[in-house]
Amino acid sequence: MIDIAFFLVFSAILFGIGMFGLITSKRGVVTLMSIELMLNSANINFVAFSTYTGNADGLVFVIFTIAIAAAEVAVGIALMLNAYKIQKTTDVDKLSTMRW
Amino acid sequence: MFESFAESLVEAFGQVTYILPQVIVLIAALLAPLLHFATKDGKIVAGASFAIIAISAILVMIMMHTVTYGTAFGMFEFDPFSSLMMLLFMAVAFLTIMVSPVHVETTKHAGEYYSLIAAIVAGMMFAASATTLLAIFIGVEVVSISSYALVALKKNDPRASEAAVKYLIIGAFSSALTLLGMSMIYGVTGTLNIETIGAKVAVMGANWAFILGCIGMIAGYGFKIAAVPFHSWAPDVYEGASTPVSGFLATASKKMGFAVLFKIFFALFVIGSTGVFTLEFQYVFAIIAAITMTVGNLVAISQSNIKRMLAYSSVAQAGYIMIALAVMSQYATTGALFHMFTHVVMKGGAFIMVAALITAGLGEKIEDYKGLAKRTPLLAAAMMLFLFSLAGIPPLAGFTSKFVLFSGAIFVDGAVSMQWMWLAFIAVINSAISLYYYARVVKTMYIEKPACDDKIVVPAPFMVAIALCVIGVIVLGVYPEILLELCDKAAAALF
Repeated sequence: MIDIAFFLVFSAILFGIGMFGLITSKRGVVTLMSIELMLNSANINFVAFSTYTGNADGLVFVIFTIAIAAAEVAVGIALMLNAYKIQKTTDVDKLSTMRW
Repeated sequence: MFESFAESLVEAFGQVTYILPQVIVLIAALLAPLLHFATKDGKIVAGASFAIIAISAILVMIMMHTVTYGTAFGMFEFDPFSSLMMLLFMAVAFLTIMVSPVHVETTKHAGEYYSLIAAIVAGMMFAASATTLLAIFIGVEVVSISSYALVALKKNDPRASEAAVKYLIIGAFSSALTLLGMSMIYGVTGTLNIETIGAKVAVMGANWAFILGCIGMIAGYGFKIAAVPFHSWAPDVYEGASTPVSGFLATASKKMGFAVLFKIFFALFVIGSTGVFTLEFQYVFAIIAAITMTVGNLVAISQSNIKRMLAYSSVAQAGYIMIALAVMSQYATTGALFHMFTHVVMKGGAFIMVAALITAGLGEKIEDYKGLAKRTPLLAAAMMLFLFSLAGIPPLAGFTSKFVLFSGAIFVDGAVSMQWMWLAFIAVINSAISLYYYARVVKTMYIEKPACDDKIVVPAPFMVAIALCVIGVIVLGVYPEILLELCDKAAAALF
């Protein structure tokens, strides 16, 4: 069996990529994709731990997380469309009329 | 009479009885769009949602009165703590639903609006009564996702759309952090049940994965309660959203974050205190609390928009409530729960007041409030009561709750303790700082000359809601026993 450390390192790398994308990207849709990556890296953790401990709770959690992530992105795309309709941009840097 | 009713409920529904209040609120969420489709009248939808949530509130009170406590499906627990939090969420929902139909910024999409509010309340009630990490996560996500949409419902306003996008990105990031933290805790302990986690941690002790998990959850739920440095979304969202929604988010959504933090971290660090670094994490919470209240109060001084000022003051109040997380004693938790209730009447009252004045045609800037006392003496007096209560002037509610909360940091286990004295000291200094910017608004209202002398007329529902909040501010300040006992019982259920 593959050592659990490999799964954890893989999920940590995935989470790091997601966080990097979230911080550096200006495009709203790309930030949504980065958030999906971060949520999925946690899912990998859950599945790995669940398999190694033989406890099915983690698998149940993953199913719920996938549903929640889908809902989150559906609302997210709707909000981006709304912002695009009003301000003609989804550039996160330009959506900054309110400061401090 | 109530006893036989509660018994027949348990007989008829079995375990479902203990999640029946949430289910009833969910029915309101499902019914609202249908009702709006059938009647096309926002007021009817608001009345129906109000009535259904009222039924749920009465049910909760009957179940509290007859001590019908229990667990449903091993995931949700109806106990003194969760029932008290449910009443708090529903009280906020009542205030919001009461003023929404007459508010000028309210959307034409009444069905969606009340449906989202009911869904948020149901999600909060589920999160407050949850006993597993899975149930907590789902409850919190229901609240978050619905609030993103609720903020954006103020259509064709660039500030609202911008606030919604910011809220979504930051909120989703915090969910991901929480989820990572939960997966680590699950990996270490092999279970999702909070109390079992506490018991296992007490035996196994802490390792790096456990610490990583705790940090992830502190950061994730720190975003939800807007603790510094995770507070940046709060002012933007409260400014951008329509004002009743800002009040709703500031008073209810934050309290859910606290309920969840109390549940998780008291289980981890009080039940499992023998195995983990309880003291170190207590200091982490204490430092976050001190920074949160200081930054919130200092930044609030320089605000010119009243909604932003109230938002930063709400950040500061979150810092005060976090004292309970640092001290981790039953007395301090009683104070924190009591402060949550008084915060609902004073901060909720202030936001409803701002909404009323916007409806009457005033702006959101503090300078728009010049000479308000001449134009509408009653409303100005009520606003002054709310602001002085937020600052903690006796004999108003804010003073009493701050007194209990701060003394919780000094009296630990029945004796004066030096350990958290500095935290109480910082909190008292911060209360003094906060008086400056609250008094500035009062000065603008009472001393400066008005720009015009027209009388201000606000719709009747606003007057009723404001009157209720004024009564709350005064009664809870003079006679706190009516709530303190319940809060004490709720805090005892956590330990």
